[in-house]
Amino acid sequence: MPYHEFECSKCIPERKQHAVTKGPGEDLTSCLPKGYLNTIPGSISERGCAYCGAKHVIGTPMKDVIHLSHGPIGCTYDTWQTKRYISDNGNFQLKYTFATDVREKHIVFGAEKLLKQNIIEAFQQFPDIKRMTIYQTCATALIGDDINAIAEEVMEELPDVDIFICNSPGFAGPSQSGGHHKINIAWINQKVGTVEPTITSDYVINYVGEYNIQGDQEVMQDFFKRMGIQVLSTFTGNGSYDDLRAMHKAHLNVLECARSAEYICNELRVRYGIPRLDIDGFGFEPLSQSLRKVAMFFGIQDRAEAIIAEETARWKPELDWYKERLKGKKVCLWPGGSKLWHWAHVIEEEMGLKVVSVYTKFGHQGDMEKGIARCGEDALAIDDPNELEGLEALEMLKPDIIFTGKRPGEVAKKVGVPYLNAHAYHNGPYKGYEGWVRFARDIYNAIYSPIHQLAALDISRDPIPTDKGFVTQRMLSDASLPEEIRASTTLRQYSGAYDSVTPLRDKTYPTFDSRPAAAE
Amino acid sequence: MEDVTKTRVEQLIDYIMKNCLWQFHSRNWDRKRQNENILGMTTKLLCGEPVTPETPEDKCYWVDAFCLAEAYRERHPWLATLGVDQIRELMAKLHEQLDFQTITGSLNEELSDQHY
Repeated sequence: MPYHEFECSKCIPERKQHAVTKGPGEDLTSCLPKGYLNTIPGSISERGCAYCGAKHVIGTPMKDVIHLSHGPIGCTYDTWQTKRYISDNGNFQLKYTFATDVREKHIVFGAEKLLKQNIIEAFQQFPDIKRMTIYQTCATALIGDDINAIAEEVMEELPDVDIFICNSPGFAGPSQSGGHHKINIAWINQKVGTVEPTITSDYVINYVGEYNIQGDQEVMQDFFKRMGIQVLSTFTGNGSYDDLRAMHKAHLNVLECARSAEYICNELRVRYGIPRLDIDGFGFEPLSQSLRKVAMFFGIQDRAEAIIAEETARWKPELDWYKERLKGKKVCLWPGGSKLWHWAHVIEEEMGLKVVSVYTKFGHQGDMEKGIARCGEDALAIDDPNELEGLEALEMLKPDIIFTGKRPGEVAKKVGVPYLNAHAYHNGPYKGYEGWVRFARDIYNAIYSPIHQLAALDISRDPIPTDKGFVTQRMLSDASLPEEIRASTTLRQYSGAYDSVTPLRDKTYPTFDSRPAAAE
Repeated sequence: MEDVTKTRVEQLIDYIMKNCLWQFHSRNWDRKRQNENILGMTTKLLCGEPVTPETPEDKCYWVDAFCLAEAYRERHPWLATLGVDQIRELMAKLHEQLDFQTITGSLNEELSDQHY
């Protein structure tokens, strides 16, 4: 096994099995780190907890729900607003967060009365919202509060409300991924099959594992609607609680983030016979293949081909403008879970970047299989890294940019490496054809920002070149480009609007006649 | 395996690994089912045989198989020079190798979990 041992982690020998370098001829039978294990004592992990994974990642993007944490107030605060999962209903789920504010006396005497009082008060304060999700936390799990019983009582007293219980306290798994699992299974056990939906199309899908980061879901939904496909529910970005209770009526589950949501797809297949189709919404070619596959499933491939042709013609020249300027730039692709495999190959193919490392904070070995399979030789793959390992890898690999979360991202900036937010994005959405160009633009802006040249100079040590003027992005990026590329009249920079999502909400869509070949 | 066949299998498997997701379902039995059905249909399509998916699950296998066959034809012109028996033989070796990499030789310790 081509393990990589970090100098800084030699005192934690177990860490060696969590990093590998993909050498020549290596494949998945010889090159795979350990994964989804408890963090090794002594290693300060960048992981979240199982409560965070359930609430912050999966539960809260549901848009028409009071999201109530039963526990101390810090639990809800620290899982609030740091991911931009917007919605088309005024961002209710981002504006508000709710907690029962459990304190020491409740730990001693119990917090069930407090919980009931909070549930009723929250519904009274927001009379238009009739749905609630209650998240268990470590404190209330340990004292044994019966959240289900309280929720049942309230639903009897207030018959027009519905409450979902997510029993995933912070300690219920090695990382946030434990919470993804628990909320998937809880949702299908408690809620799927409890609402019968209105079916408006011959072609009906659940769009699963999509969280509408800066509008990703709305971009993809636009494509589906243009093909005449009904998105019955989205699990869970911009998703509606009652739509998600009707998941059992879809013809197909289209799965984006398998890391966080494959569980519910697998269960929907076993319990309701709905097949699972894994797709990639990022990148021109993977997205085109994905739209093509969904359309082929329903026998409407012509509709997908029309979209692919139109979108490619509109946006490809802009993607290629950036590709010419990003070729050969080295990337540390260090996201949370699924983006290490969604992005690993396609950013090399379509943007010319070179992935020198992938890591995952909470991914499983299955995610590393996908990521390592899609990487080239010499890529360093790290599971559950700590901050010192991250710094050592940056020093060793000398990347031009890092795609990661905001905490490790800020660390990278301190050592002069530009970072893009892989979780909440900088100027997304990044899905869709236009979104992929927006991503390329963000990468370009980060790598070639003149601030990095200026920031790299230490005024207490380095000579300051006072005889040189300010260098612009284009001066930096175009310095070594051939004239025909620099002066190309076909390639162009991003020309879309600042907000590419809001206009989609008022769009009208074509209606299609029923086809006899429609899915059963 | 002779050198030419080995190289061709490597090329075919490289495409799957870099561009597909269907081979990485979460459990051994899922991967076995996926590999068998999708590569089975791909083989038929490459041999010019009809594939008629009947159930929703079959349709899912078929869309992945169809796209894979198209990609292979586009990227590997040498496929057009092979006879039906040669294609079957090549695809059988590919199946064997894919099963090895993703199931029997896999280092993923979660594959044998009894539950999702």
